[in-house]
Amino acid sequence: MSITMLGLLFAVVTLLIMFSGMPISFALGSVAVVFMFFFMPASSLDTVTQNVYEEMASITLLSIPLFILKGAAIGRSRAGQDLYEALHVWLGKVPGGLGVANVLACALFAAMAGSSPATCSAIGSAGIPEMRKRGYSPGLAAGIIAAGGTLGILLPPSITMILYSVAAEQSLGRLFLAGIGPGLMLVIFFSIYTVYRFRKEYNLALDAVKVGAPRQPILERQTYTMQQKMSSLPRVLPFLVLLIGVMVALYGGYATPSETAGLGAILAFALIAGIYKMWRIKDLSPLLNATIKESTMLMFIIGMSLLFSNVMSHLHLSQSAAQAIVDLGFGRWGLLAAILTLVVILGFFLPPVSIILMTAPIFLPPLRAAGFDLVWFGVVMTIVMETGLIHPPVGLNIFVIKNIAPDISLNEIIWGVFPFVIIMILSVVLLCFVPEIATGLSDLVMGVAKVH
Amino acid sequence: MVLLGSLALVAASVILSYSVASRGFFGATTDWQDEAAVFCLVGATFLCGAYVQQIRGHVGISAISTMLPQAVNRIRILLIDIASCAFCAFFAWKSWALFHEAWVDGQVTASSWAPPLWIPYIMMSIGMTLLAFQIFLQAFGDVSNPGKGE
Repeated sequence: MSITMLGLLFAVVTLLIMFSGMPISFALGSVAVVFMFFFMPASSLDTVTQNVYEEMASITLLSIPLFILKGAAIGRSRAGQDLYEALHVWLGKVPGGLGVANVLACALFAAMAGSSPATCSAIGSAGIPEMRKRGYSPGLAAGIIAAGGTLGILLPPSITMILYSVAAEQSLGRLFLAGIGPGLMLVIFFSIYTVYRFRKEYNLALDAVKVGAPRQPILERQTYTMQQKMSSLPRVLPFLVLLIGVMVALYGGYATPSETAGLGAILAFALIAGIYKMWRIKDLSPLLNATIKESTMLMFIIGMSLLFSNVMSHLHLSQSAAQAIVDLGFGRWGLLAAILTLVVILGFFLPPVSIILMTAPIFLPPLRAAGFDLVWFGVVMTIVMETGLIHPPVGLNIFVIKNIAPDISLNEIIWGVFPFVIIMILSVVLLCFVPEIATGLSDLVMGVAKVH
Repeated sequence: MVLLGSLALVAASVILSYSVASRGFFGATTDWQDEAAVFCLVGATFLCGAYVQQIRGHVGISAISTMLPQAVNRIRILLIDIASCAFCAFFAWKSWALFHEAWVDGQVTASSWAPPLWIPYIMMSIGMTLLAFQIFLQAFGDVSNPGKGE
């Protein structure tokens, strides 16, 4: 059988099994095993489990459950709500301050918890009702939270980036740093848009009042005393210290990225025990349960994805596909556009973890040959996959929000989120022209990367 | 198993924190911590696989399930369960073989600490066996009381 036929057969079988609704991990594993049976020497079947174990037994990959644990510890406590309230009090004077407070709270929380859906539900459950009470349109409120939540996989520690660093063999420390610049850029763009929309809705309400409509809540201004501002700090500062402390440990050379995960989890437990008195088995077991559920599901997908791409490269499928992409002769930017489009399409159906592990062996060699910085591409790919979290049909964050605020219609949420998707796509374009937004910080801290 | 998994997660965190502390404060070399943490985490992952399956926590692409009539859908779920079960059973079988080999030959890891390799392998074997049984029971349960499908 020719390599093209084999490749087509492989792709068709994979698609069929995936779309049958079989759990992604078992589907990938089965496809790998079946193709091993038919097209590879019989001995390869005997080492399939060893293969999976050796791929998985990497401390970088296994830091993922610990990052999830840390995120769950912070996510299940009242930390999200407190953080959001504190920011709200401090930003009371800014027009649209409440919305901006929500964006910032999402960013900070995401940086601590490292998970998009967790951020949405932690900040959104307090933020959405509050914004609607103050007269924000439901769509805007939902959009702010859905988009803010996506910052979770861009700002460190991001699970997506851990996987990318393993798949692309790039330094994790460098990738984490490279995510910070674009993350902050998105925070600023989201905030500007929020203020702009707020003013628009504010002026509409003002006009309505002028022609005799009753006064609306969006026109009220809240002011807070200095004392209120100060009293909001003590419960929030420790978490900021945790965030900064972990960063210092990592980049000061005291801890490896995986050690930071363990350390962060222990510190997060200490903080929620100290601040929220959450230390009984009764308090901790739901968060441990949630961690087990999410991390086991994820690690199974990761292990089987690795087996899957292993089989692909054994059968020379990834290499041939990579070569075929190069042969298409798209040129540098055409190649990038084609690959990102494919990532978006895959993002309709697959979670970011499987996209990275399945496509990295195919996409990365042509990109490297075309002279792209792979750390930079990791950041760009992450932003593109983030948009997959907030647009239909999968759009995990959209459904999280639907859960918190069931009375906002799905339509309103989707239209509210849409402008944020546009902002993210524009940011990707901007990153293409000014790659230093991503690589500047990592080059500054860790020295300029060697040219590939 | 969930309890065991949780303990393993916490243990891994403690081990890694200890690693940072011992190096930071006492300048000790750290050789066994990473590997011990890997064993804990591999154990946690595989041993909890069956629990996650029990609550149908292994996600799949659900786009089609909403379009099919209920009767067809029930058959689809049954077929998927049988295929998943076959895969997990195969994987479990090969894991036991791997464990047996590591046990008989006394294989150890390549590090200076060199712990025996059968420890993670047996956790993988037990985990996958439980998972296969769990799926089998779920598939079988669905057939015997068809009203209770997903």
